[in-house]
Amino acid sequence: MIRIERRIDANPWWTAGTLVAALAAGMLASALIVATAGADPFEAFRTLFFGAFGSQKAVMTTLIKSTPLILTGLATVIAFRAQIWSIGQEGQVFAGAMAGYLGSQILAGLPPLLFFPGVILFGVAGGLLLGGACAILKTRFGVNEIVSTVMTNYLAIYLLSYLLAGGPWAEIGDGASYQQSVPLPAAEQLPLLFGTKLHIGVLLPFVAAICCAVMLDRTALGYEIKALGTNPVALGHKGTNIARTIIAVMCISGGLAALAGVIELYGVGHRLKADNLVGLGYAGIIVGMIGGLRPLGTVLAGLLFGGLASGAVSMRVVSDIPASLVPAMQGIILLFVLCASVMARYKIVRGTAS
Amino acid sequence: MSLLPSIKEPTPANARKAGTEETPLALRVEGLTKRFAGVTANDGVDFELEVGEIHCLFGENGAGKSTLSACIFGFCTPDAGQIVVRGQPVEMHSPRDAIKLGIGMVHQHFVLVPEFTVLENIIVGTQKSGWRLDDRAARQKLKSLCDAYGIEIDLDAYVWELAVGRQQWVEILKALYLDVQILILDEPTAVLTPDESARLFAIMRKMCANGMSIILITHKVAEVMQSNRVTVLRKGKAVATVQTKDTSPEELARLMVGREVSFSVNKSTVAPGDTVLEVSGLGARGYWNEAVLNQVSLSIARHEILGIAGVAGNGQKELFEVLSGVRWSREGTIRLNGEDVSRLTPRAMMDRGVGHIPDDRFREGLVGPFSIAENLILGWQRNAKYRSGLFLDRGKIAALSKTMMARYQIAARDDEVPVENLSGGNAQKVILAREFLHSSGLLLANQPTRGLDIGVIEYVYAQLLQKREEGFAILLASEELSDLFNLADRIAVMFKGEIVGVVDPKTATVEEVGMLMAGRRMEAGR
Ligand SMILES: Nc1ncnc2c1ncn2[C@@H]1O[C@H](COP(=O)(O)OP(=O)(O)OP(=O)(O)O)[C@@H](O)[C@H]1O
Ligand SMILES: [Mg+2]
Repeated sequence: MIRIERRIDANPWWTAGTLVAALAAGMLASALIVATAGADPFEAFRTLFFGAFGSQKAVMTTLIKSTPLILTGLATVIAFRAQIWSIGQEGQVFAGAMAGYLGSQILAGLPPLLFFPGVILFGVAGGLLLGGACAILKTRFGVNEIVSTVMTNYLAIYLLSYLLAGGPWAEIGDGASYQQSVPLPAAEQLPLLFGTKLHIGVLLPFVAAICCAVMLDRTALGYEIKALGTNPVALGHKGTNIARTIIAVMCISGGLAALAGVIELYGVGHRLKADNLVGLGYAGIIVGMIGGLRPLGTVLAGLLFGGLASGAVSMRVVSDIPASLVPAMQGIILLFVLCASVMARYKIVRGTAS
Repeated sequence: MSLLPSIKEPTPANARKAGTEETPLALRVEGLTKRFAGVTANDGVDFELEVGEIHCLFGENGAGKSTLSACIFGFCTPDAGQIVVRGQPVEMHSPRDAIKLGIGMVHQHFVLVPEFTVLENIIVGTQKSGWRLDDRAARQKLKSLCDAYGIEIDLDAYVWELAVGRQQWVEILKALYLDVQILILDEPTAVLTPDESARLFAIMRKMCANGMSIILITHKVAEVMQSNRVTVLRKGKAVATVQTKDTSPEELARLMVGREVSFSVNKSTVAPGDTVLEVSGLGARGYWNEAVLNQVSLSIARHEILGIAGVAGNGQKELFEVLSGVRWSREGTIRLNGEDVSRLTPRAMMDRGVGHIPDDRFREGLVGPFSIAENLILGWQRNAKYRSGLFLDRGKIAALSKTMMARYQIAARDDEVPVENLSGGNAQKVILAREFLHSSGLLLANQPTRGLDIGVIEYVYAQLLQKREEGFAILLASEELSDLFNLADRIAVMFKGEIVGVVDPKTATVEEVGMLMAGRRMEAGR
């Protein structure tokens, strides 16, 4: 007989095994959906895979697509590890892009070595302020962070909408299309890496992930974040200022999410436009969760999701399979991975029942 | 079918005769071994429980008592060995299996739902009759159980309304309600007053007379001496099983730690020095704005230990919280070495050398998933001592935890073990080590010996007295009057948030203190 029993100590192999099994099961379930839509699942996955990792060009697209996802994923990791349920990454991406764009108007004309760090700082400050505002609402007035971050998401999204629809930043001209700014001049676009199509911003998520890992693992702030997430009472009783820690967490998380917005603006979209930003923050929550709320896991999950996104593009081009399969797949994989994280706490034993 | 239990009064006829051959066994454990990653918590333990006996498990912190009872209750599956219940070998995979076999357990940490009433807590999850709660039959059965055993409890009171000690009775009532035949109690008296603990023993004896068998885990020798037999565990092995009437506290202690334990305390006579802590007219309010502290005034000098006696829930916890900066007082002032510290944060108090040992160790004193090493620096993680540059200095922290684990005999595989996996007593030692290390001048110790074995208590006593000699002022609250009489220079008794009397342990009697704890004021005033 085979039984399922609670595990007393975690086994990393088992944990990894459940994760792989979850990914496989997620694929299988997605295949079923493809089949019910009347398409050939085999074909669909082949296109998806080649579109994601099949060629040099595909890998580059994957890297570019995963860049903002890893950053918003890291934003999720920092907040959720402290058990602060911020879902403001979406709004913070928008805030980052807007503040970054504002930066370009102020810093225009500076040499690139000053201009790019400058606008990135502007952008990061935008998300940091938005996150920090929610933190202050939470610590000063006891406003639940879920509520406040959802509200600031709307705030940021509609502010951009206002600025671009006939507002001060709208592109005006004969063939005026609504809801976007004028394109950035070539000098204000992020430079490309050694003659490839990759903008130098793709390095940032990796640097950020290493910084986050080191911060969580090796610094007093990381110690406080983890303690806040597991026993805030003991942390506070032993003299750590809880409010200050919460504010630090939400500022860092907001800054990371905003970084995704600026990089997207200066590296990919080259103009301010909601379409380029929408969904990056929410996807980051999934990426962070699938990454097990660990920075390095988040990099892997971000690459996976970036791959799915880039594969979706080629699927749309070469086959008639709806690209909307991809968001469905992302959701399905998340569900399975969440189940796996529960499974990881159990073990399967062979034995006789009483 | 009648739900009314038939309860026989204890009579000599059905009372257990110790040592007779024909006494049937309620439970037998053979060669039980249980390992956790790297630790052998139980190592080939043999154990027998006769019908109608109170059998104590006695042993050092981390000896494996809780693990053994967890195996008997189906929480853990043993790696090797056999559990035999009433002659039948059984294999249990969850507490549900154990309950089916008539095994019940009262945990050291309660598992009651505070928002439910006593009745609801008892019947929820035990109903066999589908999902509609029919409480009439249950109420009847519980009423008659209460009457038969003399348990006074309001079945419709919410659990959050009950004092911690009372919650214990709910757990016991639940076991009775489930018609448990083997009851395991893991340190049940840690939160009981001496009076309540005496009542508990009376009830346990009645339960045994009715054919139940009880496994009792306790560190209190006085309670061990009221059992029928004792099995001593040392480092996971059962080293001896003795008839209680043939043994003595000294022998038990020797069996337990493998050396002589001195029960006497050598207290030097140092004269108190300058006043360190001066509290006057302190008042504080609770969650419902009720007064939890009222006009509390006290002072402690260098080289002095002020004991706080009192039944749990009479304001001791709040007093410690106010003094450590966790809770703010409404009225009154606190002076530390002459400085007004009434409005300081815990951080500021810690920086002034105030150490605090909280009574709820896992909630207030430790971060469960953190390692021993990390918990040793909790609150001091930003201190330059433990940093190199921007980063935590792991080498230094590891060295510190090595020293502390050796000095306090913290039993664990290594310093990376999460403290939530430590045995109760060993977790307490981590807090003691941290607070002794980082404080200077004033030590606030609330129930520091709770859950510790006598070997460690001996060590903690020595430490407290040494700190006293070094010039510390120590505020020591304990439900163990023996702690206070052994250590304190003065004993203040708290009742309903007030200090109702201060006595000199050299001249006062335990009875006098007991009277004050029950709320009788001293006629002569303070
Ligand atoms: N879940 C676990 N994972 C790893 N080790 C464990 C776990 N539970 C217990 N241990 C270890 O097993 C040993 C025995 O622990 P146990 O809790 O049985 O001791 P105990 O006799 O009840 O002690 P105490 O008197 O302090 O409560 C200890 O060394 C403890 O660290
Ligand atoms: Mg124990």
